[in-house]
Amino acid sequence: MILLQLCVDGLLLGAVYALFSSGLTLIWGMMNVVNFAHGDFVMVAMYVAFFAFTLLKIGPILFVPLTAAALFGLGVLVYYALVRHVMRGPMLAQIISTFGLALFLRYTALWAFSANFVSLPDSLVGGVYDLHGLRLSASHLLAGATALVLTLGLHLLLTRTDLGSRMLAVSEDRVAAALVGIRPDPMQALAWGIGAASTGVAGALIALFFYISPEVGNAFTLLAFVTVCLGGFGSVPGALLAGLAIGVIESLSAYWLGPATKDVAVFGLFVVLLWVRPQGLLGRA
Amino acid sequence: MKALPRTLLLVLLAVLIVAPCLSDNPFYQRIAALTALAAISASAWNLIGGYGGQVSFGHSVYFGTGAYAALLAFDKLGLPPIAGAPLGMLASLVLSMLIGLPSFRLRGHYFSMATIAIAALAEGLVTNWNFAGGAIGLMGPASPRTVADLLFRSALPYYVLFVFVLAVLLALTYLMQRGRMGFYLRALGSGERAAESLGVPIRRYKLYALLLSGAFTSLAGSLYAVMIGFIDPDSGFGILVSVNMVVMSALGGAGTLFGPMLGALILVPLAETTNVVLGGGGTGAAYVAYGIIIMLLARFSPGGLAQWWAPLTGKGPRRAA
Amino acid sequence: MTITRRSVLSIPALAVLPAAALPTAAAAAETIRIGYIEPLTGNAAAAGQSIKQGIALALDIINTAHPDLAPLPLAAAAGLPKLGGAKVDVVWADNQGSPAVGQSDAVRLITQDHVVALCGAYQSSVTLTASAAAERYGIPFVTGESVAANLTGRGYKYFFRTTPFGPDFAKLYLDFLADVAKTGKATGKIAIVHENTDYGTSVADSIVQTAAARGIKIAQRISYSANGTDVSPQVLELKNSSPDVVIFISYTSDAILYMKTFHTLGYRPPIVIGDDSGFSDPSFVKAVGDIAQGVLNRSAFVPGKPDGLSYKVNALFKQRTGRDLDDTTARSMQGFLVLCDAIDRAGSTKPDAIRAALAATDLPADKLIIGYKGVKFDASGQNTLAYSLIIQLQGDDYVPVWPTGQATARLTLPFKGWA
Repeated sequence: MILLQLCVDGLLLGAVYALFSSGLTLIWGMMNVVNFAHGDFVMVAMYVAFFAFTLLKIGPILFVPLTAAALFGLGVLVYYALVRHVMRGPMLAQIISTFGLALFLRYTALWAFSANFVSLPDSLVGGVYDLHGLRLSASHLLAGATALVLTLGLHLLLTRTDLGSRMLAVSEDRVAAALVGIRPDPMQALAWGIGAASTGVAGALIALFFYISPEVGNAFTLLAFVTVCLGGFGSVPGALLAGLAIGVIESLSAYWLGPATKDVAVFGLFVVLLWVRPQGLLGRA
Repeated sequence: MKALPRTLLLVLLAVLIVAPCLSDNPFYQRIAALTALAAISASAWNLIGGYGGQVSFGHSVYFGTGAYAALLAFDKLGLPPIAGAPLGMLASLVLSMLIGLPSFRLRGHYFSMATIAIAALAEGLVTNWNFAGGAIGLMGPASPRTVADLLFRSALPYYVLFVFVLAVLLALTYLMQRGRMGFYLRALGSGERAAESLGVPIRRYKLYALLLSGAFTSLAGSLYAVMIGFIDPDSGFGILVSVNMVVMSALGGAGTLFGPMLGALILVPLAETTNVVLGGGGTGAAYVAYGIIIMLLARFSPGGLAQWWAPLTGKGPRRAA
Repeated sequence: MTITRRSVLSIPALAVLPAAALPTAAAAAETIRIGYIEPLTGNAAAAGQSIKQGIALALDIINTAHPDLAPLPLAAAAGLPKLGGAKVDVVWADNQGSPAVGQSDAVRLITQDHVVALCGAYQSSVTLTASAAAERYGIPFVTGESVAANLTGRGYKYFFRTTPFGPDFAKLYLDFLADVAKTGKATGKIAIVHENTDYGTSVADSIVQTAAARGIKIAQRISYSANGTDVSPQVLELKNSSPDVVIFISYTSDAILYMKTFHTLGYRPPIVIGDDSGFSDPSFVKAVGDIAQGVLNRSAFVPGKPDGLSYKVNALFKQRTGRDLDDTTARSMQGFLVLCDAIDRAGSTKPDAIRAALAATDLPADKLIIGYKGVKFDASGQNTLAYSLIIQLQGDDYVPVWPTGQATARLTLPFKGWA
């Protein structure tokens, strides 16, 4: 029973990682830009959800789309104001620019919202289901289900739609895409917007069961990087698979080896896997 | 034609180096020492990250190794902390091999991510390693037993020591840059596949660069531990330690001789000043300002600040991959 | 004391002065400056910011006349009487949670701002490096809040700690549990769950050692990293072994996650003790108070009866901030008040005179804002009369439940959690 509960918890947690990483993998894979501010995007999303609930008094059905819309705006803004200019520069310039953005977002939040921890009421979504002793919380289930839907949606968008092909074309070769009449800037701005919007959905859902503070992004950022990398850059289904795997590994290793060693287990396995299979689980070589 | 600005720059540099020795302000001296220390680790990172184009986010592994070696030498053997520095460098050479050989097969972001994960792994292991103080960390000597403990109230002796190490490192870098290795690394930095097809033995030279880089980063870690007198897993192996090296190099100009030093020269005093002026207010304004400045610099000077002086000295900047 | 022109004009000094105090500060050379190092940004910023609010109140109590707080040293008159009514001023520094930054702060406050003494620095690792710098400069350092055992015992001359630390807490918990056992409840199987940096590890070590000395074996010890994303494996491990008592030594974010996960997994250990820090953070109660009913905690600060000092100080704090004074803030304020009292008794701002006065401190319980039995330092600089109570979360507030003499509410066991 414990083992089953551990695995289920691990899978649900892993789904959250996948949800959290989907936006990152899109931006990373499409543009080869590492967004160090990704965790802080999630933080912003969590605050948007929190204030939508406390100030506007709207529930998850409304505040999840609202958050997605707000983050879409943030993504597009960041693209035009910052990323567009550093994208063609060296990789290092991209890295430090998003690092600066991360500092800016995190500490503006500290200034605006104070360092205090806040949290949405636990009862906002459902409660807890008890299946013969297996405990499942509705908010985790919702996050897990959304992760699946979102992943599938992003995957279909990229592989099955005209828009997706255009975005991919720009990511493969800006110049060639421009030659066949695709304007690269709006496409890439859109990719940033969609990436940020799915991050927004993730943040709003995570806010249902996690605390919120200006530093909260820290808890997820490194794991999001590992998830994306493990899945293979730009591979949305890869990120889902990787997220689920990491969740289960964390859960089991924390139980058997002790919670202090779960980072060692996750990062150790990740390094070994990279050495053995350098392109990630589902990445193209 | 180009000689005059170059002389001016050298004079400016000399003034900058000597100024802290003439100041009687202990706090400025301390900033100067911390700047020199940051310049050492950034310049050491630059060997593999800048010249070699292998963007490592895991240099805290070497930094932490050096720092722990120093305080373990004190804590376990009763030696002056600085005596641990050579041991740390030795350990870092071994670690560079262990990490470098398998990781150099990875390219671009995969390499960066592998190094991040290795650093996180190292932090996790040290946190659980009770012999080395575990999560609590290690203390240096509480008061100086002999002068070899290098425990001074003034930061000036540290500054002199750090500038000396920095000078040695930059001299080595200069020699390397002019020699065969510099040529190979530049070829590598501008395109790995191309370099390989030209017959450059890239793996070997990447490894050489990493060995040198790791050893000096480790030395910087030892010097940090000697000066601060305390190390814990976060201040030795934390991701911010690595990020600082990357940001300073990138800002000043990765792959240039003086770029990382320039980055340190700007960022350390900037961080200290913003903390002095805004930190006490407690609103995080210091970081907001810091973040904006970094974004502006990356936005308007993506090749690093060294690109602005390149036309003056007649040398083109080399871009990192 | 000499104050250079530069330090009077320096921006950080001006920035922290309340507007009303400006004319005096500019005119009077005798303003006494104390440096305060706290985490104003970073993970622990909530605690640092709260302490900053508390110290603002402490300054007001010292610098203006508060006859109603009469037994409290320095409250009745304005300023420090033995220094001609000199005002006290605090120069704030943000340690950013980093030992190196904290040390730079100490050097800066001593050499640039010419502070006569230092306070801080919340995280034990930062207090360690900052006080090392103070020791080198021969400047007194008083910590009212850092609890790691290794801080005292370094043979420092200028370091003093007013707060109780690990061994004191261990004794408190074990005494309490022994008392509960007398009522027939099982308390033999104790599990300790602690975050794995210096705070959690050193307090857990103290509990294990103190218990061993009494012949009690700690059944289970789980160490975890505080900034993790998930704590359900730990909770399942507890659920599986079902201990009688779970003692948490946690920061805020993880304390919140544990309570949420208890709720999700439907686990209610009979007795839950949270060791201050995270469980005392005002945002803890706000975030998960409704599902953490009956959690026990330690606190040295209890408002108590309306005529007591603690009650009055709490009322003043509430008036300023709209919330009750929490334990950490109160302990830090007490450390600061002890330091200011020592400066007054020294009648001098010379570091050595202040050090001597601190070493000679002997304050009885009725001259404190907090529930210590007094303040008196041993040779290592540790307060030997430090003391805490057991409190319990009932409704929206923590109320004192043990020892029975000081309790204002009945201890209710087992842990209820949620309705």
